Amino acid sequence: MKKRLFGLAAFLLYTLPMMAQGSTDDFFRSTGKLYVVVAAILAIFIGIVIYLYNLDRKIKNLEKQIKNE
Amino acid sequence: MSSIKKDWWKWLGVLILTLVILIGLLVPLNPGITQVSPSNAASGTTVSVSANGYNTFFTSAKSIRAWLKLAGDHALGAKSQEIISDNEIIFTFDLPQSLPVDQLYAETALVIDSDIDGAFVRPFALSINQKEVNVELGEQAWSVDKIHELTETNHFRYPFRNILVETIRNTYFHVPLWFGMILLFLGSVIHSIKFLRKPDELSDQKAVGFVSAGVLFGIMGLVTGAIWAKFPWGAFWSWDVKQNMSAICMLIYAAYFVLRQSMTDQDRRARVSAVYNLFAFMAMIPLLFVIPRLTESLHPGNGGNPALGGEDLDNTMRMIFYPAIIGWTLLGVWMAQLKWRTLRIESRLRE
Repeated sequence: MKKRLFGLAAFLLYTLPMMAQGSTDDFFRSTGKLYVVVAAILAIFIGIVIYLYNLDRKIKNLEKQIKNE
Repeated sequence: MSSIKKDWWKWLGVLILTLVILIGLLVPLNPGITQVSPSNAASGTTVSVSANGYNTFFTSAKSIRAWLKLAGDHALGAKSQEIISDNEIIFTFDLPQSLPVDQLYAETALVIDSDIDGAFVRPFALSINQKEVNVELGEQAWSVDKIHELTETNHFRYPFRNILVETIRNTYFHVPLWFGMILLFLGSVIHSIKFLRKPDELSDQKAVGFVSAGVLFGIMGLVTGAIWAKFPWGAFWSWDVKQNMSAICMLIYAAYFVLRQSMTDQDRRARVSAVYNLFAFMAMIPLLFVIPRLTESLHPGNGGNPALGGEDLDNTMRMIFYPAIIGWTLLGVWMAQLKWRTLRIESRLRE
């Protein structure tokens, strides 16, 4: 869990300054703004992963219950 | 093997989505013009207009023709052309002394026709100013050249839209998420009604599963919409009516989970949340379909903009868009199913 949070924090620390600068703007506007589509697909992927992660946590709890019985 | 037979729809959904992502990203856009300079000129002069093409192949074309087009049938052909590269070309026009209009300026569109790329247009490319109005002379001068025998191409391409350009592909990701969300919420409402007619734990669990997948789809719809909006609209969040209403809709559905967590009695919780789910669905319909149509909106299909149609969604795009709705919905049902199966095991263990 800690490792995961650390990874997320590192990712945000790395990308947030990029988003604040104008250079990412140029990046997203390059080659006909194709990267906007890539970013949207990535957002969907992250959403699905978060959903799976929550479900995983729930199932882990159930497994613990079965073990204890 | 039996699981493949039983769960065929899951694999169908995955297959459709794989194809949607591949075809959605790989098929090129139609050629278009991204920039024209200069943007204005005086009548009676000779002007060299440079045009930047997108997905064009000027150097390999055998014949390229170009016109400045005014409203109606009036057009002026290019006198000469100079090809700089595949994506840049300069046309020279001899602008006549007069324009066939009753005002001192006119907006012209640049029409280019190439035997390889077909015909494409840049609206409002060059505005022409004149010192005196002489409609009759203008009529004569602008009626000599006619736009004719445009090349018809038969390529499988997505439309080129000036500001959208490649982001038009988001039609296969952002829009079907919302369609999927509505269908998931519809599934949830059906199970809530089932529960209210004949109380049964499984209906309640199914309703919860559908709502959680639907809310995830809605949040992903908001996020992908914000990412998309940044480039054509200029801001992640423009306080557009449809953005606001869908955010409110998400809050209403978020309250569904808060409501469930606030109650410990199983039967009561199932009954109250089923009634609340009906209310939330009824609230969603005016929020997403009625209010945005009543006021100004940046979204297509609202505030007098044409709905799914015109050049924003042509027949080529429909061939990917409709399967995309089916694919995303099937994936959502799968995610909902995983959720309610987990809930079912949880309640069995509790007994």
